[in-house]
Amino acid sequence: MGKTLTIDSTISCDVLVIGAGGAGLRAATTICERIPAKKIIALTKVTSPQKSHTTTAQGGMAAVDPKDPIDRPIFHMFDTWKGSDCSADQNVVKKVCEMGWEEVVWLEKHGMHFSRTEEGRIAKRPFGGHMLNFGETKAFRACYEADRTGKGIMDTVWSESLRYGVGFLGQCVATELLLKEGTCIGAVIFRYPEGKFLAILAKATIMATGGNTRMYQVSSNCRGNTGDGLALALNAGLPVMDLEAVQFHPTGMVGPGILASEALRGEGAILRNKDEEPFMERYAPTAKDLAPRDLISRAVVQEMREGRGLFHEGHNAPHVWLDLRHLPKEVHEKKIQEVCSFFKRFVGVDPEKDLCPVTPTAHYQMGGIPTNEFGEVQSDTQSIVPGLFACGEVAAASLHGLNRLGTNSLLELITMGRVTGERIVEYLRDAKKPEDLPPDAKHIAFKQFSTYLNARGKEQYGQIRDTLRNLMMEKVGIFRTEESLVEAIESLRELKERAMHIAVGTTSLKANQDLWQIWELNNLITVSMVIAQGALMRKESRGGHFREDYPERSNEFNYHTLASMPEFDTVTFGKRPIDMSIFEAKGERFELFDYIKREY
Amino acid sequence: MSNSYTITLEINRYDPDTALSWIQTYKVTVGGILRFVDVLRKINDEQDPTLAWASSCEHAQCGSCGIIVNGKPLLACELLVKDAVEQFNTHTFRLRPLTIAPVLRDLVVDLEKAYDRVHKAKPYLIEPAPPQPDGDEYRISPETLETYSEATRCINCFCCATACISSHGHFLGPNVTMANIVRLMDQREMAKEERMDILYREDGVYRCHTARACSFVCPKDIDVSHFLALGKEGKF
Repeated sequence: MGKTLTIDSTISCDVLVIGAGGAGLRAATTICERIPAKKIIALTKVTSPQKSHTTTAQGGMAAVDPKDPIDRPIFHMFDTWKGSDCSADQNVVKKVCEMGWEEVVWLEKHGMHFSRTEEGRIAKRPFGGHMLNFGETKAFRACYEADRTGKGIMDTVWSESLRYGVGFLGQCVATELLLKEGTCIGAVIFRYPEGKFLAILAKATIMATGGNTRMYQVSSNCRGNTGDGLALALNAGLPVMDLEAVQFHPTGMVGPGILASEALRGEGAILRNKDEEPFMERYAPTAKDLAPRDLISRAVVQEMREGRGLFHEGHNAPHVWLDLRHLPKEVHEKKIQEVCSFFKRFVGVDPEKDLCPVTPTAHYQMGGIPTNEFGEVQSDTQSIVPGLFACGEVAAASLHGLNRLGTNSLLELITMGRVTGERIVEYLRDAKKPEDLPPDAKHIAFKQFSTYLNARGKEQYGQIRDTLRNLMMEKVGIFRTEESLVEAIESLRELKERAMHIAVGTTSLKANQDLWQIWELNNLITVSMVIAQGALMRKESRGGHFREDYPERSNEFNYHTLASMPEFDTVTFGKRPIDMSIFEAKGERFELFDYIKREY
Repeated sequence: MSNSYTITLEINRYDPDTALSWIQTYKVTVGGILRFVDVLRKINDEQDPTLAWASSCEHAQCGSCGIIVNGKPLLACELLVKDAVEQFNTHTFRLRPLTIAPVLRDLVVDLEKAYDRVHKAKPYLIEPAPPQPDGDEYRISPETLETYSEATRCINCFCCATACISSHGHFLGPNVTMANIVRLMDQREMAKEERMDILYREDGVYRCHTARACSFVCPKDIDVSHFLALGKEGKF
């Protein structure tokens, strides 16, 4: 052993994009469109941006078409506010909802293959929590490309970035943010194939690393969604916001938790319990199967708890049914083709003939790195980190508050990606080119990697990973209590300690999957700790965060949780106020943008 | 465990530090409903943490986990153990890396290099049609979209390129050629001539020998050879 880890080489660019998914590359294309000569490097953990997690999004992207005779952006704003359980930031809600259609047209102009109406226009479908006339009846607002909307979006921003000559650097992760006198000047990265560290100096750096729900036993997320970006920010001493707000999507396929889009219910699918009763009618009499995800996920678990769930032998897991049998053949074959093929291949059921077994799956992180409405990363409620930006799922601006509506995430990626890109265009005017690594760079990754490479012990990566995933599912999942959270925090401390004693399979640095996964595991434990601590602090139930010992929303918690954890387990909390600017502007139906009661 | 299977995997190993290659045999007992990615994970967890393999979404939507199983290129995330036993009529499986890019370690190939080919097909709109006035969308009939929407489902997993008898020499490959043909069929693309140059150049569609292996192996069930045939006939 005794390998000395060093920075192999240093590269300079104008903009470094950490995470080349939908948000990161929409920001990149925005910059290219405005100032084409800039050198942009986009990092991705996978081999090509086309393989990003964005590509797995299925159902649609919400956007109100200004030509729509009955839908209006203010209805969308209201739905987003109500859906968030009154914790989204209204300045961001307004901005994003008003930009939506322009971005749909941008995507279409650059080659996205949206599904069409008979007249050849972009088709729209209903989705959970999206309604007309301030909650009256379902709205057709989700623009979609069959049930592969995320792929359509990803293909578009990826190929546009390619057209502009954005430099893609695949199979790598950022291991440390470089901060010089409080300004971000790039990042240290680790390349998987060669096992080398590189420093990338940049005038502006965008964090767009996506989601992180791989710490849950059942998760719809990609293998690599391990919270690396959040851990990076935490290690740099920056706060994160609202991490306790984890979204469980009610319909993951039993077993691994592969997403079965809400678009299925948008097209008319119905959830049923073991008696085949359409149980959502009891929980949400108006919205029924198109109530927001947090409500439906709790209803599913409630059905299971009260003995009306079922049990899947092959996967050894509980579930309820999703019924698609009554949908027209045309819908099965054209509109939900991918998901139907997933059910056939992975579960062995034919949705045209059989009931489909589903269970809630950890799907989305509502919280993230706090930014203002321009994508600038905040170091506290008053100040930003110059040169550092964040957008997409890793960021919290916050459009979603503590619960996100379906189709609002693709909308957010694209709109906030553009907004962030536009801000960077302004920032680059006066930004100086960083010359060198900061003298006080901590080289955190050298310490981490040395520890992992030199660790001795009997602990096994797979066991700790599985223990973590079970722990988070059971104790920091859909239902939480003080007792479960305190236990989880204690267990996370033990897991962190145990993770220090995993003997790595090989000490080679080249394409060392074991080393890479141990690093990821540590990030998962780090982020899990902040989720659990945040959940313990928030003694109320709001959106995706539900405390059985505090089942009601409480005005006392009308704020965003800010949490910092520069060292593991030393969490300090702050508060960020919720922006109420739509309410405060006293415009049309402003009273609905107050802390309203949330019923569906 | 109900419906469990004991299977033997013979896996190509490659160590980039020593440049040594060998075949290693693993025997595992797993539930039939598990996927090959789950089996590989189980080998990592219980037998050999050094075995490297690639995956990301693990539900056939990203195309990161292509491997060759008993001669057939496929996605490891999509192959269930019980289906593999039935399909190949054996309990022994020979796993090799895809052959369209250099091997980094074991079953992991450098797909970044393979993507250089995709970039050559310019998957974007080279010259978009003028937009509709007033921020309106284009009109594309569902019937027109239907003629090529299957091809847009391609995830660039390179299973077809691995199976293709021509793509190891001077052919851009089935997936890449199909991406170009999609844009030839797309009414929003104005740069048709440039696209035809890509289609009919030295490494273009006429390198295809119409063996149709691409359609046979495509994990997304896309009839790739149908689109290549349209390209050859100039029907777009």
